[in-house]
Amino acid sequence: MDAFEAIKATFFQECDELLADLEAKLMLLEQGQTDLETINAVFRAVHSVKGGAGAFGLEALVRFAHVFETLMDELRAGRKPCDAITIKTLLRASDVLADHIQAAQGLIPPVDEARSAALVAEMQVLTHGGEAPVEIEEDEDDFGFTPMAFDMALDEPASLPIVDLGADAPSVGWRIVFKPMGRMYVNANETSLLLRELGRLGPVTVVVDDSETPTLDALSIEDGCLTWTIDLAAAVDEAAVREVFDFVESDCDLTITPLGAGGATDIGAFDDEPAAVLPASDDLDIAALLAKASGAAVEPAAEVVPFAPLELERTPAPIAAAPAVEPVAASVAAPVAATPAPASAPVAPAPVTIRVDLDRVDRLINVVGELVIQQAMLSQRVLESGLARSSGIALGLEDLELLTREIQDSVMAIRAQPVKSVFQRMPRLVREVADMVSKQVRLVTAGEDTEVDKTVVERLAEPITHMLRNAIDHGLETPEERVAAGKPAEGTVRLAALHRSGRIVIEISDDGRGINRERVKKIAVDKGLIAADAPLTDEQIDNLIFAPGFSTAAVVSDISGRGVGMDVVKRSIQALGGRISISSVPGKGSTFTLSLPLTLAVLDGMVVTAAEQTLIAPLPAIVESLTPQAVDLHFVGGVDPVIRFRDRFLPLIDVALIMGFRERPMNPTEGVAVVVETEGGQQAALLFDAIQGQRQVVIKSLETNYQQVEGVAAATILGDGRVALILDVDVLVTDMRRKSVRPDFKLAS
Amino acid sequence: MTKTVLTIDDSRTMRDMLLMALEDAGYTVIQAVDGVDGLETLASKGADVIITDINMPRMDGFGVIEGVRADPNHRTTPVLVLTTESDVEKKARARAAGATGWIVKPFDPVKLVDAVRRVAA
Repeated sequence: MDAFEAIKATFFQECDELLADLEAKLMLLEQGQTDLETINAVFRAVHSVKGGAGAFGLEALVRFAHVFETLMDELRAGRKPCDAITIKTLLRASDVLADHIQAAQGLIPPVDEARSAALVAEMQVLTHGGEAPVEIEEDEDDFGFTPMAFDMALDEPASLPIVDLGADAPSVGWRIVFKPMGRMYVNANETSLLLRELGRLGPVTVVVDDSETPTLDALSIEDGCLTWTIDLAAAVDEAAVREVFDFVESDCDLTITPLGAGGATDIGAFDDEPAAVLPASDDLDIAALLAKASGAAVEPAAEVVPFAPLELERTPAPIAAAPAVEPVAASVAAPVAATPAPASAPVAPAPVTIRVDLDRVDRLINVVGELVIQQAMLSQRVLESGLARSSGIALGLEDLELLTREIQDSVMAIRAQPVKSVFQRMPRLVREVADMVSKQVRLVTAGEDTEVDKTVVERLAEPITHMLRNAIDHGLETPEERVAAGKPAEGTVRLAALHRSGRIVIEISDDGRGINRERVKKIAVDKGLIAADAPLTDEQIDNLIFAPGFSTAAVVSDISGRGVGMDVVKRSIQALGGRISISSVPGKGSTFTLSLPLTLAVLDGMVVTAAEQTLIAPLPAIVESLTPQAVDLHFVGGVDPVIRFRDRFLPLIDVALIMGFRERPMNPTEGVAVVVETEGGQQAALLFDAIQGQRQVVIKSLETNYQQVEGVAAATILGDGRVALILDVDVLVTDMRRKSVRPDFKLAS
Repeated sequence: MTKTVLTIDDSRTMRDMLLMALEDAGYTVIQAVDGVDGLETLASKGADVIITDINMPRMDGFGVIEGVRADPNHRTTPVLVLTTESDVEKKARARAAGATGWIVKPFDPVKLVDAVRRVAA
């Protein structure tokens, strides 16, 4: 990726942040906080989007942002009231703006012209009142301008005899008469630099007239007293010459006239006696030039003190070094050292941040993972060596262990991000869904600053989106129903994040009708998910909505009935090592609670043995472990073993056998059965030789270091240095069992 | 000695673009994210040229110019104003506040460097 593309990527990343901010500020406006700072913040966000978009030539985006910005400009100037109608329009405009940004990235097709144009028209009506909307094209100059080509006519002294030979007929040279005003120096422009710029255009001859210079004690910062006459012997057009004076045009008297064929040679004809004539030179030596010029200026005036050698370096007090050259310098320089810099403003400083490539962070995390493993190995070796626990080495190792853990936590914290980025996308969603189903919804968020691993943050969006849709579509009643039930017409959906025992918990609650257990049960029975007479607790009934294929919506609506139900949500949560549950009170509302690990880089695992191999079973997948009793074992068709578990029969999978660690199946009663649940909700029992214990392990990708192995999700290194494979429970339970158990078993028998 | 340019802009995109163009031209670049940060950075690190955005949170570009001109240590440091707003009123205001020059966004890197060179001794 070249630098330009990299910056473009940064721009889109920044756009996401700007949109989030825009959204947040618009919400404040909507809640009645229509103060100037909030309006300004909205303006700035749109303005920044437009600025960046212009730099990358994203026309459609620029046009839309421009109209948006113009309206915001009216609002912040107080020329238009920030009323409810305007805010509604702004909210919808921010949605379209977001789409334009996505379209510019090629993430979605170009924004529907009609939709965009409708909002543009709407915003223009708001901007221009009832008048006919102004065509956008008319404003295009505002952003389609040529960089730096500043309006030349601005502040042009009226009397100047400008000869318009400029662009088309470059002369063989130009005479420039330039008399700076004090104002020019105040704004930190300098004659020497202007002369240097002219020197770049071609050979110059410079004459300075110092006749107006007062004595030193009469010098004032507001006075310009030198008049410079520069003959430029170069066939450039007038615009190029004028551009040199672009910044100072209104702070000086400037005339630019074409030189005749004899150009640079007729300098002697200039009005007063020239104080100094400087040789033309391609690489103009400014120091020499100024020294000479001012030297000439000083000599006739005997009362002026000799000046210090010229020093054109600008730091730290630039002009002070050349007092006699620029009159202003003396008065500017005087107070330089007198007063210290003002104390820094009493506003809280913005947090200092650096942007680091994610790869680098991951590399660091990886190395720290190694460190943790190495440290654990070392501890174990020391323990095995029989050293006393109170020995210096053992104590030192304990400290090392604490440090290592702290390093690990700190490194993990680098990857941590607040869930804000996901939460901020939700108000728009809620608005759209509420509009679609004609419900009044207020979204309340809490704990937006709760931090969790970046990967987890990214994968949170989808399940939260789905659950919010569900809460609005199914959870909340219509305004009429709510009023009839004695509730406010507007329903409340609450989205909260918090940390709880080393995990992040996301709660999505509504104050709607709650789960209709009778109906849920009936549907489950109708769909054959449960037996008609199954004795279920309220909680069990509520959780039926997570069963695969279950959908409570009587009418499949556009919102949440897209063929994916809560089972999909549950699966995506489980894929992250998370859990989801629901609690509901009829008539009062429902609360979904999902809990996720804070990181995907470490895993809670159960360490097990299978045919002398050490394996890790991910803890989130484990339901229970038990010792198989002969009475509970059956063989379906005489081969496939099943185990009775709470009145159900689960397939019993001999892991060592199907992984190829041994050739004959083991006697199940000599091992341990671990009941696991796949992301799809399928249960099975995995048979191992023994359970060693539980521990947190650092996940190492097997694919990057070796290759993908069926049934193995990743690997880790244990404290004693052994490599342990982390089992992929889903693959074991679904695919591999089907493929390999039967033939192996037959072989064995 | 390389010249140091302080860029003050709340947009990361713009800061990156300025960084790329100026570093390519051999300048040392230091960055600030808003006016307050800009003046603090100037006070602590100094700069040969300042490029500032106009619209920023906490303190806008006009505030930056006024702050620089009021600071005895930096009152003669050139300040270039970076703006998409080409309207006369904004520019006049910037100039009245003490801006040395301006750069119109979106800028051409060559023109940007030209403008910096024109004000950097």
